[in-house]
Amino acid sequence: METRQQGLTFFSAILALIATLVVIQLWLVAAALDAALANATSVLVPIMLASGALFLLNAGLLWWVRSFDARLRQWGPRG
Amino acid sequence: MPDAAEQPRWRRDFPIRWDEDNYMTRRELAKFLTLGSGLLVGVNALIAFIGLTRESPAAPVLRIARIVDVAPGGSLLFAYPTADDPCILVRDASGRVDAFSQVCTHLSCAVVHQPGEQSLACPCHKGSFSSVDGRPLAGPPARRLPRIVIEQRGADLVATGIEV
Repeated sequence: METRQQGLTFFSAILALIATLVVIQLWLVAAALDAALANATSVLVPIMLASGALFLLNAGLLWWVRSFDARLRQWGPRG
Repeated sequence: MPDAAEQPRWRRDFPIRWDEDNYMTRRELAKFLTLGSGLLVGVNALIAFIGLTRESPAAPVLRIARIVDVAPGGSLLFAYPTADDPCILVRDASGRVDAFSQVCTHLSCAVVHQPGEQSLACPCHKGSFSSVDGRPLAGPPARRLPRIVIEQRGADLVATGIEV
């Protein structure tokens, strides 16, 4: 079951990466709120775009890891 | 399932059926986090929309003091645009008058004038701002103090707006 164990570790690593990116997005929300309350409107759009880029990265990672998982299931255990 | 009497007391007090509990798989957690990520994009978009479309109320024109009330090198506390917005007016030795919000941009302590140093100091965390343009000089503050636009009308000093 070596391949399956490797797949689980890989999935956990990607999951940790996605969680880290979400934490960065939370920080971006706090920064945007702070800027909006201080009337520093010039940074609001860049923050929104950065958050969108992180979401796309998250979605891409999720899609990639799910397709990897599907391929792994299709091949079956080889360990 | 063992008999209730055979189980330790903590399990009898807190009878959790682990086999009936709901577990979240890695796949579900990854989907949940990605959905949350999309939600955070929406929150950021909402903040940007509100921030860009919000109209600031027109700043009132308010008489602060007479010019002779502030000695060269001195300062004067006042409130603008409302009674809940403390501000500080500084007149340097040459007679130039500048005014800023008195609220430190770090953690909102009140800044005080440092005569002779052309600075406004925040005693809470040793922050310091220029009393000429309000930019941060030292300490934790990263943003400048909002400037109060002051006009001299005859012998009076009048506040007419705020520059963030």
